[in-house]
Amino acid sequence: MGYRLNKEQSNALFAKLSEKYDIYAPKRFPKQGRYSDTDVIKYDKVTSFDEVEYTEKSTYPMKEVLNPVHQTLFYFNDEDYHEAVKNLRPMLIIGRACDINAQKIQERIFLGNGFHEDAYYRRRHDMAKFVLMECNGGTDTCFCVSMNANKTDDYVFGLKFSENGLEIESKDAEFEPYFSEYEKEDFKVKFVEDNQLTVTPPVIPDKEVLNALKKHPMWKEYDARCISCGACTMACSTCTCFTTRDVVYTENADNGERRRVSASCQVAGFDQMAGQREMRPTAGDRMRYKVLHKFHAYDARFHEGPMCVGCGRCTDHCPQFIALSATVNKMSKAVEEIMKEQGKEC
Amino acid sequence: MNNDINVKALQRNCFRQSKVPGEFMLQMRVPGGVIPAKYLEVATHIAETWGDGNFHIGTRQTLDFPGIKYESIPAVNAYIQEYIEGVETELSGVDMNQIAHEPHEWDPKSGYPTIGARNVTACIGNVHCICGNINTQEMARKVEQLIFPSNYHIKVNVAGCPNDCIKANMCDFGIIGVAKIDFHPDRCIGCGACVRQCKAASTRVLMSGPNGLPIKDDCCCVGCGECVRVCPASAWTRNPKKFYRVILGGRTGRQTPRAGKMFLNWATEEVVLGVLKNWQKFSAWALDYKPVYLHGGHLIDRAGYHKFKEIILEGVELNPECQVAEQMFWAETEWRSNFNVKFPEDHLTAGPGSNNGGH
Repeated sequence: MGYRLNKEQSNALFAKLSEKYDIYAPKRFPKQGRYSDTDVIKYDKVTSFDEVEYTEKSTYPMKEVLNPVHQTLFYFNDEDYHEAVKNLRPMLIIGRACDINAQKIQERIFLGNGFHEDAYYRRRHDMAKFVLMECNGGTDTCFCVSMNANKTDDYVFGLKFSENGLEIESKDAEFEPYFSEYEKEDFKVKFVEDNQLTVTPPVIPDKEVLNALKKHPMWKEYDARCISCGACTMACSTCTCFTTRDVVYTENADNGERRRVSASCQVAGFDQMAGQREMRPTAGDRMRYKVLHKFHAYDARFHEGPMCVGCGRCTDHCPQFIALSATVNKMSKAVEEIMKEQGKEC
Repeated sequence: MNNDINVKALQRNCFRQSKVPGEFMLQMRVPGGVIPAKYLEVATHIAETWGDGNFHIGTRQTLDFPGIKYESIPAVNAYIQEYIEGVETELSGVDMNQIAHEPHEWDPKSGYPTIGARNVTACIGNVHCICGNINTQEMARKVEQLIFPSNYHIKVNVAGCPNDCIKANMCDFGIIGVAKIDFHPDRCIGCGACVRQCKAASTRVLMSGPNGLPIKDDCCCVGCGECVRVCPASAWTRNPKKFYRVILGGRTGRQTPRAGKMFLNWATEEVVLGVLKNWQKFSAWALDYKPVYLHGGHLIDRAGYHKFKEIILEGVELNPECQVAEQMFWAETEWRSNFNVKFPEDHLTAGPGSNNGGH
């Protein structure tokens, strides 16, 4: 079952849903881009159809809703502490198939990695439902199809945005009453079936090949090209790394709060240990770590494919025009070379 | 060769005298340094038909054509009507039927009416540059409307950011695009990129505070936007409101070259253009309505900064953020005295056996 709403009705629907839900969607922030007179698109609370930026891919990913850049964990003073528990309202998060699939990876890390669940993520996660937004085909940096992330079933209803309003695929019966007054139409959200880009992650069969790959000269290229700014990981839909920070209130140093703050494996010092030793001191080392983590180690640990949904935001946001897709394809070629050298069959 | 030529009249017509008798160099204005590429065909035609086949990229971003014979000038002027109307009237919105804001009919076949307000130069600005804060071309064209045509001399350079590649610091009235920077602490990951960049490439107003978060000394921020450019998380963003710095009285020259000094800081476009609108009035007052080939900076020297300030700010309502120089502490290179460059034996020295210059 589907529905068709004009603009006015679409705004009315958002208003109605907002009575019960906090709706999060990509929103345009004019002139806040890295370069003058460029915009930033990031997830934010919206209460109307008009606020949603649906034509262009967001600069920053959907993960920021459930895993914010800054999140207060608890407040403390010299005697006591208490957890920062927000009275969260139920959330509807609007995203494309790749965005929703990326949250599966976030969930795997926060809720299904080892024996300990992350309570802070759990709290937000349990309040959130996904709303699928039909993708207009993406851009030339997208490779969701290669990552098997172009389709999803995890949504309560589907939307197709256009300048005329919304087309709605009703899915979860709970939301049917919100739509029933509107014009009926046969509508189902279509998924992207092809990308311009194809990315083929390598199959690394054994430790010998992996060790040779780690030493492969291909990583040297990034010593000269990558500036270790971490923009790729900030834009990444799936990266979960964070650090903890104590914010001490200046007027009373016995009081403060502990926050977790997004961190980037690409920024120098990320892996610095006591004694100042860094395990990955060069940009190439850090790039190798990130790429191998996403396209080898994650799958080796969970057997669920790569830690990447092919949204291409890392490539879009890189100030040095380093394309992750090209890097992965280079890595696959390097693996082929190595296997030939080691007399192994690809 | 009949050498009875009024070279001063030709200079006003933007034809520069050559060392070769009877030859001139046409200088065509390119406000903001950008014109549609189709005009290169016009340039080619001029150079190959009437010039010596070359064109020179003028030091003020003009298209210059050396080797134009005196006899060809009427034909050249008739030909460049299309260019002047295209670039000045259509592209820049200039009213050609006025001189220094007074009605004055322009004969479209007569070429450029004045040389006074020199070509407004600009860097490529934020239409291309990753550092630029403003659209320098639009600004230059708005300036062009206010200062051209005029017989009063002023050199205006428009820079997209305080890096000042176009040398706004070295002209009469330099306009530099600056950005007020907003900080969003909830997006800062404390990576320190802004602190390092500000130290390496700007004025070192950012310090690394607790948790690596930046602490800013607002007073000395030049508004370059480098922190925004290097931030991976959009924790620093440019405030959407555009601001400008105005540098006054810079110049080159044989006698007293000097870098300009800051006149206005954090002025809006409205204020900058309001001030420039008064430029003709100030020049007219300073020269008692008799234009001579003397650049604006010299007029400020003659009138004194306070008199200049009085006239130039008349009727201009400053935006709340705008700061104005109270005094001008010019620092000129005094070529005429060369007081500092002398034979080593004349150097004053300290310590035992010192040369104290006869005192």
